[in-house]
Order: sequence, then C-alpha cells, then structure tokens
Amino acid sequence: MLFKVEKRPVPSQTMVYLTPVLAVLVTMVLGAIIFSLMGYDGIAAVREIFFTPILNTLKWQDLAVKAAPLILIGVGLAIGYRANVWNIGAEGQYIVGGLAATGVALATHEMTGWYLLPLMALAGIAGGMAYASIPAFLKVRYKVNEILTTLMLTYVAVQLLNYLIFGPWKSPRSFGQPQTVLFNADQTLPYIIPGTIVQAGAPIAVIVALVAWFLMSRSIFGFQVRTVGTAPNAARYAGFSANQTVWLALLIGGGMAGLAGMLEVSGPFGRMVPQFPTNYGFTAIIVAFLGRLNPAGVIIAGLVLAITFVGGEVAQITIGLPFPAVGIFQAMMLFLLLAGDFFVRYRLRRVVTAASVKPASEAAE
Amino acid sequence: MTVKNARAMISRRTALKIGGAAAALPLIGSRAFAQQDTVKAAFVLIGTPDDNGWNYGHDQGRIDMLAALGEDRVETTVVTNVPEGPDSERVFRELAQQGNDIIFGTSFGYGDSMLKVAPMFPDTKFEWCTGYATAPNLSIYNARFHEGRAVLGTIAGMMSETGIGAYIGSFPIPEVFMGANAFHIAARKKNPDFVTKVVYVDSWFDPAKEADAARALIDQGVDVITQHTDGPAALQVAEERGIIGGFGQGADMSAFAPEAHLTSIIDKWGPYYIHAVESVLDGTWEESSSWEGLAAGEVVIGPYNPKIPEDVVAEAERVRLGIIDGSIHPFAGPIVDTNGNVWAEEGDIIDDGEFWADSAWYAEGMEA
Amino acid sequence: MSFDLIIPIIITLVGASTPILIAALGELVAEKSGVLNLGVEGMMLIGAVVAVAVMLTTGNHYLAIICAAGASACSALIFGFLTLSLSANQVATGLALTILGTGFSALFGQPYTGQAVPLLRSPFAPELAQHEVLRIFFGYSPLVYFSLIMVVAVWWFLQRTRWGLILRAVGESDHSAHSIGYSVLGVRYLAVAFGGAMAGIAGSCFPFILTPQWVERLTSGRGWIALALVVFAAWKPFRLLAGAYLFGLIATMELYAKAAGGNFRILPSELWAALPYLATILVLVLISMRRQGSTSAPACLGRPFVPSN
Repeated sequence: MLFKVEKRPVPSQTMVYLTPVLAVLVTMVLGAIIFSLMGYDGIAAVREIFFTPILNTLKWQDLAVKAAPLILIGVGLAIGYRANVWNIGAEGQYIVGGLAATGVALATHEMTGWYLLPLMALAGIAGGMAYASIPAFLKVRYKVNEILTTLMLTYVAVQLLNYLIFGPWKSPRSFGQPQTVLFNADQTLPYIIPGTIVQAGAPIAVIVALVAWFLMSRSIFGFQVRTVGTAPNAARYAGFSANQTVWLALLIGGGMAGLAGMLEVSGPFGRMVPQFPTNYGFTAIIVAFLGRLNPAGVIIAGLVLAITFVGGEVAQITIGLPFPAVGIFQAMMLFLLLAGDFFVRYRLRRVVTAASVKPASEAAE
Repeated sequence: MTVKNARAMISRRTALKIGGAAAALPLIGSRAFAQQDTVKAAFVLIGTPDDNGWNYGHDQGRIDMLAALGEDRVETTVVTNVPEGPDSERVFRELAQQGNDIIFGTSFGYGDSMLKVAPMFPDTKFEWCTGYATAPNLSIYNARFHEGRAVLGTIAGMMSETGIGAYIGSFPIPEVFMGANAFHIAARKKNPDFVTKVVYVDSWFDPAKEADAARALIDQGVDVITQHTDGPAALQVAEERGIIGGFGQGADMSAFAPEAHLTSIIDKWGPYYIHAVESVLDGTWEESSSWEGLAAGEVVIGPYNPKIPEDVVAEAERVRLGIIDGSIHPFAGPIVDTNGNVWAEEGDIIDDGEFWADSAWYAEGMEA
Repeated sequence: MSFDLIIPIIITLVGASTPILIAALGELVAEKSGVLNLGVEGMMLIGAVVAVAVMLTTGNHYLAIICAAGASACSALIFGFLTLSLSANQVATGLALTILGTGFSALFGQPYTGQAVPLLRSPFAPELAQHEVLRIFFGYSPLVYFSLIMVVAVWWFLQRTRWGLILRAVGESDHSAHSIGYSVLGVRYLAVAFGGAMAGIAGSCFPFILTPQWVERLTSGRGWIALALVVFAAWKPFRLLAGAYLFGLIATMELYAKAAGGNFRILPSELWAALPYLATILVLVLISMRRQGSTSAPACLGRPFVPSN
C-alpha cells in the first residue's frame, strides 16, 4: 500500500464543503456508467435527472414546492442531530402537525379571516411538538432510546390519519371517498409568485432555515447545542443539562415537522387525504446529512433532493428511465456522501517505506 | 404510501361542473386546436403495467388504441409509479408542457391535481379515470365493473357448496360497496341463503395480508372468493387450498391459479381510449362523462374455466347478455340491507348513479 | 368462531410470523454487537426478489434461499463498510440501504412479475403434513422449522459460546473488548453480514410461504415490524420467538375476527394495526422502570467505534 490513513488533527473544513459536491459528482459518473451497462442511455439519464430541472426555468417552481418541506423538516432534524438526539420520526410529527392544522380548518370551515392560517400554523407546530414530546418524555424520564420510539410512533400516526379520514373527518361531499372537504380560501396558502404554483411554504422554509443557521452559528444557544452533542460532560459545566437538550431538540424537530405538515396540507394538498404521508419526514433525514447538519447546507441539500425527484419524473417521460432508478441514484448519493465523511476526519498520506504500513483492517479504522 | 385502489363511480347526472375555464396562465403558449394528423397521448399510472391488474388494464388499453389508430398517427408516453396528491400535479404539467394533446390520469387521487392543471393548458385535453368532476378540457370516464361482478356472483351462487362467498377489499370505498353488493345480490338469486363475507385488509397495498385474509375466510367455510385488490394473492390461496375457486380481477389471472381461476373481470379501456384519441384527431373532443360497462365492451368476462358445469356457464352467459341488452339489471329489487331498510321494491331497480352516490350499506346476508 | 379454528389460526399465524422472526433474529445479533441497521426492509426486498429470480430460473428452492441470503448479506456489507470501516452514521446509512433495496428490487424484479412461484411446502409426508391435527407440527414450510432452529442456535451462540461472549462484549463495551485484543470491527462485520443473510431468508419467505409471486414492495413494511420486535423482545431470542408469534397473533386474529363477521370487532382496525408499535413502546418503558432507568439495549448500540490507540 502506498498510502496511509491517519486522523486529521482537526476536521478538515475544506472536506466538509467538498465531500457533498464530490458525492453528487461521483453519483452522476457512476450512475451514468451503471445505467449504460443496464442498457439505458446513462448519460441522458444523468442529464435529465440532475440538469434539466436546473436549466428549464419552468421547473424552478416545482423545485421550490418539493424542496420546502424537506428543508423545513431537515433543519429541525439537523439541530437535533447536532445535539446527538436521533429523532427519526419526523414523518409522524409531520402527519400529526398536518392533522392538527386540519382539525382547526374543519372546526373553522364556515369562518373567514386572515387569522385562520396563522391559527392553523400554530396548531401544526403544536401538534408536531406534542407528538415529539412523547419520545422526549420517555427518553428523559425512562431513558428509552428515541430512535426506536420516534420510529414506532410514525406508524401509529399513519393509523391515526386513516382513522380520522375514514371516520369522523370524511367529507360528505366527496361521494364516499376518504378525504376531508377542501379547505376554504382563507385556510389555503396564497400563491406568492403570480403565474406559478409557489405558495407561502417555500419562502417560509428558507427564512426558517436562515434564522436557524444564524442561531446555530452565531448564538450562545447554538454553541450550547453543539457542545452537548460533541462533549456532553463539558456542556454540563456550562449549565446546560442533557435533559434540556433532549427536550429542546425533539420539540424543535417536531415543531418544524408539524409546521411543514401544516404548510403542505393547506398548500399543495388543500385538504387532508390518505396520501398525505409522502415520506418527507424520512427523506429529510437524508437532507439533513447531505446538508452537513448545517441549516444553510440543508437548503442546498433540500434543493438537490428535489432536483432528483423532479428530474426523475422528467427522465421517465423523456427517455423512459424506470421509476426505481431514482431511488438508486438517491441511495448512491447518500452512500457516497457518508463514505466521504471519512475524509473530513481522516486523510491519506503517502508513505515512503512499506515497513510503516499498517495492516489494512487497522488502517481502515 | 400510495392509494392503489381508490376508484369512484359517476353517472352523467351526478358529475359536478367546474366553472368556466380559468384564464390561461401566461407561462404556456397557446396552440390552435382543430383537426390534426398526429396526436401525442400520455398515460399517468399509479403503479407499473406489470401489476396484472389495474395498471396492466390501462396499458393494454393504450396498446389496443395504438393498434387501432396506428403508431404513425399516435405517439404515447407512459409515466409509472406516480403518487397521488401534489406530486402528480408536476407530472401532469410536465406532460402538458411536453406537448401532449391528451393526458389520461388513471387514478381517483389525481383529481385535485388535474383540476388545478387543466385550466393552465386550455388546449390540452385531460381525462380523469374514476373522477367526479369535469371542466371544459377535462372529461371523466369509468367502467361499470359491478356489471361483471353480477356475472361472478351468479357463478358463485350456483357453484358454492358451503353457500359462503367472500369479498376482499382494501378499504370501504364506494366502488367496493357497489361491487360487493352486485356480487352478493346476483349470488342470492341462485341461492337465497348465500352469505358474502366482506373483509377489508385496511391497507392500500399488502399482498401477504390479502393472502392471510383469504386463509382466514377459507378456514371459516368460504369456498368462492373474490377480491377487489390488485394482484393474484387471494386467488393463489384459493388454488393452494383447493377450494371451488376465485376470480381474476382486472385481468385474466389463470396463470397464477389454473385450477381455482373460474373466470375473470377484464378491464378493457381500449374502446374508450380509441374513442377519446380519435376525437382529438378529428377535432371533435368535448367535455364528457363516460361510464360504460359490459355492453360497450369495457368490462369483459374472461374465458370460463373448463371445470365449470355447462348449466352454470349458460346461466352466467344469460346474465351477461341480459345486462348487455338491458333486460337484467344488477341492482334489481327487492333489495333490503342488513339493517332491514328497503332500498328497492320488487320490480324497481336502483339506478347505478344513485347507488354510487349513497351506497354505504350491505345487502341482507352480507357480513362485514 | 369456534374451537375448530384454533389449529387453522395457529397455522396461519406461524406463517405470518416467520419472516418477521427470521429478520428480527438477524437484526438481534447485529444489534447485540452494537450495530443498528435500519435497512432491514431494504434487505428483505432484495432477498425476496433474488429468491424469486433464482427460483424461476433454476427451479430449486434451497438454491434460491441461499442466493437470497448471499445477496442480502452483500448489501449488508455495503452498510458494514460505511458504518464500520468509515464510521459513517448508522441511522442514515441504514435508511439509504432501505432506499437502495426498494429501488433495486423494483428494477431487478420487473421481468419476474406476473409469474406464479412454486411454494416451498412441508417436507413431511402428506399423511402428516395434511393431517387434521398433526399438521400443527408437520404442516409447515421448511423455512418455519429453520426459524425455530435458529432461535435456539442464536440463543446458544450468544449465551453458551465463547464467540457469543465476545460478540456481546463488543456490543456492551467496545473499547474494553478492543483493549483485550478482540477485533471489534471484525466481529461487527460478521454480525452485520449475518443480519443481512437472515433478512434475505426472511424476504424469501414472502414468495415461498405467504404469497407465491413477486411484486414491487412485496414486504409492505414487515422489516420495520422486525425492528420493533427486536426491541419488544429486549434483545432476547426466546422472547423474540414469543413476540413474533404475539405480533402474528394480533394480525391474524384481526383477520379471522373480520372473516367471522358479526360483532367481533372490539377495536377500530386502525388501533389493531397500531398495536404492535404501541406495545413495543410500552415494553421499552416497562423494562426501563423495572431496572431503574437502564434499558437492556446493548450499551454501544448505534455508536461508531473508533479505537483510541
């Protein structure tokens, strides 16, 4: 072996920013090769998936719509992950937030007024927070692993949605189909860019992400969260308890997921339907990692994921690339990024003599 | 999670009219519309054409349409695995921007998206399968599958030895009520004590659970099984257990269960697709609501299994032909539900449209 | 419903439980070594599609099961390389594995949809396998007997062998195990590969026991139930067996009650469906209460190991 792996004295900042870019680039190259070998037009696939959505201005509105919930949920998760709190149940918190907003919308369906949407937003945030407070309570009080409880509760949330939509909330005007009534005009997000489908969700997501970025990188709060995550013992001396962090991380993650749920149900959906869980909560986990757990990075990562979704549809329409190919591209991208993480903390160095080479198994550590 | 089986029914009377065309949004250029030489048609599917059921049926319809009108005149695009909800909105817009003249959305849950996109592309024709609302450039179409269910019910009523049949559905949605009632009412005409057990698997997609539901039903005396979910899961259990049989849904499924497969309801969208695309070619397309069945050849009864006795085949054929010529109606009275409410007196029928709009009940003798 | 139904219900519930049991046993071993692999659903799908492909090509069930195990183990090794050698985050890598498995199986499986797959039936003579009563012992697919043998084998391995002790040590205290001289990563690689192989065999249960066909997303979320089951069983193989059959009983009883008609539905069906997950959370809390705040989860679960040499 001509190279030796060694730990960097400090994590490389260059690599922090370089690896996501490299992961995307290598995905394109590998993807083009793999799909060419499988008999598809691999280069066209990469072009349609990764470039058409950027180059075709008509697609920008779709990117904004698709990226908004991913960014919003991703930012909330990223903050929690920084503090080493592993909420993987954002999907459930998103559903419950959407349901809470729907509950308000149905209760106020005969009413009009500017205050309805803010009220629904508050309900969405509260719903998401309330649902996330279950794992928070169990973690703090009983030390129950939050990875497992948040995941379990996601499936419970889906059943709650089904129960409501097939039962008390079913619209009397949809011919027996399981869906609620359409929200009224004051309960529906306005279109903010004339002539497009961009509703208020997109700018809200970006603003929330920027505020979070500012808080995380420039405030005492951000410092405390990061300290808890990297050095829990030090954080205790700084007057910040691990329990508080658990609560804070889950409430922020749940609240943002709940808000995303409200923005989706009052925006693109316009009513609650059984298809409301669209895996945004799980995809946002990828977004959080691809964005390096940094709120600003999450904005970019959310856009990249949105590009692959939108581009995947384009590729299916224009070159007949099968739908599952998109999932393979996304998984590959995430694998490469996670692999790339290694180079943030380690580096390869040329070694001069073979004698100093470590056995491979150890070197890999 | 996606909705696989949400399909509704509509009659011309109950279709809602969506107000006049909203002004076209400026981002799309407008094209003149008249007679044309070639047509681009697109099909949006919730699954993949190889599902041997709902999506397969639509893709076969597309292939029939291509064969009838000629590939030199029609160019088709198929988009698969499109989730219902806002994700589909993007696909419909993309297809319209790609210059498709007519776009078929083949699932109920595409409706909200199609109703949003249609006004933006006034020159593109949209067709919403199983929908309930039309617009100037949005038509709806569906098939009277329950007519086929009446034929299956006739076979079940005559062949079942235990007198217990089953109907497996995903969730209680209107079309399931309609199909299950048609099956049961027809079976009762042949066996007045016939019982139909309706079981919902409470999942939009779970073949293993459908199979277990079939096992639970067969273990409790069911010997004829029919399912309202896509795929052969229940039918394969019927084969494995050696009961009298089951039926293919959407397509001929005899390859999965050569012994148990009695016959099948085959979705034939070809006639409708030929009509719709042809009317775009000659410039006569207009807003409409189509709900055809056995008579128009949109619902077809597949080949009968040779093991079915001749008198049963004859009776099934009599019902099929009777429905075609109008002498037999699937919902002919007397019809009483499980709570004793009378829905149709002797000599009356329940109109399909009325039934569809108000059908959350089960006829006497059904167990759900 | 009547007592006659007890035997049929048991037969059905054992079938429904077996894939969950096998997948959970594999995950249990991986988690005991300190690795949380959330990619079970993806690995099961890979196993299912490979099993169908090999079966339809060669006609040999056992070869198909071996190939399914091998393919899923390979996918698990991708996960292992990232999380072990490159110490990547296990949660994110596991989710990526599920996305990969879903996409791969859908793409690779396209030629095999629409074909019936022969079931893997009981190996015993029909007089036993189809006997009214005795089928409760002899009426199952070989995969069912395999799952029961593996419960004992995993228990024996973990509790009675030196290797099992090492594996548990690695999961409880990786640095101590490392300082004594055990290869932490080596043990974890083997455990992860075993988890993958078992998930692959669990995937093959779908076409071979439950519903003999291939279709996209055939496993419909059973992988996540398997993950819940490991926790529900507090990482103990025999409790895992009991838990798998309990989960299977809940699901099966619901269907038999519905098929019986009448007023057998005590709970809304949504609550039935949510029950395994709620029960799992409850068990986690109970374990923790009984042990005054310590759960029985392996101490190093989900934590990357970086030797401090």
